[in-house]
Amino acid sequence: MQDTAQSPNQQDVNSTSNTKPEGKSMIEIDDLSFSYDQGKTNTLRNITLNVPEKQVTSFIGPSGCGKSTLLRCLNRMNDLVETSRITTGQIRIMDQDINAKNVSAIELRKQVGMVFQKYNPFPKSIYDNVAYGLRIQGIKKKAILEEAVEKSLRGAALWDEVKDRLKDSALGLSGGQQQRLCIARTMAVKPKVILMDEPCSALDPIATAKVEELITELRQDFTIVIVTHSMQQASRISDRTAFFYLGELIEYDTTEQIFTNPSIKQTEDYISGRFG
Amino acid sequence: MSSHQGHILTNFDDALSQIKEATIGMGAGAQRNLNNAIRGLIERNKSLCDTAIADDDDEDRSEVEIDHLGMRILTKYRPLASDLRMVITSMKIASHLERISDQAVSIAKRSRKVIKSPEIKDVLKVEGFYKVASSMLTNAITAYADGNSELALSVIEEEKPLKKCHKTTSRVFAKTLEGESEHYRDYLDLVFICRWLERVGDLAINIAEEVVFEDTSTDIRHGRELPPELQ
Repeated sequence: MQDTAQSPNQQDVNSTSNTKPEGKSMIEIDDLSFSYDQGKTNTLRNITLNVPEKQVTSFIGPSGCGKSTLLRCLNRMNDLVETSRITTGQIRIMDQDINAKNVSAIELRKQVGMVFQKYNPFPKSIYDNVAYGLRIQGIKKKAILEEAVEKSLRGAALWDEVKDRLKDSALGLSGGQQQRLCIARTMAVKPKVILMDEPCSALDPIATAKVEELITELRQDFTIVIVTHSMQQASRISDRTAFFYLGELIEYDTTEQIFTNPSIKQTEDYISGRFG
Repeated sequence: MSSHQGHILTNFDDALSQIKEATIGMGAGAQRNLNNAIRGLIERNKSLCDTAIADDDDEDRSEVEIDHLGMRILTKYRPLASDLRMVITSMKIASHLERISDQAVSIAKRSRKVIKSPEIKDVLKVEGFYKVASSMLTNAITAYADGNSELALSVIEEEKPLKKCHKTTSRVFAKTLEGESEHYRDYLDLVFICRWLERVGDLAINIAEEVVFEDTSTDIRHGRELPPELQ
């Protein structure tokens, strides 16, 4: 789609609406530009938006628009790409510049967990998957681990389905269960933010519905940012939606506003399937 | 719609065009039925009244067809934003048009009774009122066809003149009714006919309000505030 879509209209791009919603922000992205090739070209350009605490925020846009890149900036997953760098701007999570020299990526990822498109449980038991992060943190007491595993599995709406087979391999679970197990694993270390990169794209409709239901419930305790290609999913589960195109934030507003009456024509053309 | 490029799914464009054309066609049918009913009364032509009554079946069928089309579009293409508003608006307008055609049937049935009796000249007084209501309906349908919320607003602004015209015409008939013994039943029928014409005007206003919603995404029903671009 990127190859055939028209270039963004500069006037529209400059009029992104409501990038700093009221209320406490968990994530503040300020004039962020990002490059994968040592600054030669910017994959993200001058992104400014605040993600409110304990809400679900969706990033939407055509493939290659930068939404997953931005998501990976939020827990410094892009550090793994040697030639990548932030060329301008800043990301603050809980008022802390996450790229400051004194912030370790490992510590950051305890606060900012991530769930991937393809569920990736470890080839271990269900119990060990959930307990993994806590053990890495040095927690060894069985009672604490058991409590955390049960709480996380309950939180991920998986407990009733697996409570009698916690020692079974996680790989024996269905796809939807494996994805919810990965969410439970992320929740176990009690992050503040959970990032989700197309978490339902490999799931059938029933498993998708269960994960969506879970995301809706998780907003009570976590700030969630989700990348999705499904307009319906974004409209069902998110409070706010950001539309990206060619590395720029085109529009950011409440989900209702974006899907019923977007301010910018490009957003409307994209969500209504008119890009081409 | 006109300001947008086509959808990637051309079938989606076709389906949207289909529901729009069906609704405009239904609007033309409702206008025709109303016109036949009133002409039947004024020209004392029973055949025109019969046509208005018979053609109401087409309007009923159109309403069902538009509802089915709309539901098919909603389930198949999951429209959003202006597309969603267009589909919802078309389905609601179809319902208003069906009721307008019902008013035409009521008028036609009463007209058949009136024209059975010896002619009364006061019947012509209905024509002026009809022109007000009919013009509102025509403009409402044109506003829908063109996505013109300014024209729709002009229909909504006709509400007071419509009520005034209804009051004036009905009062004349009611007054005459009091002193009439020979034609009192005809004058009573004319009072009812005016009531149904007023209802046509009200329904035209409903259609116009839907057009404003489709065009601006602002719900102005029941005295809600107009969108800034129409203030």
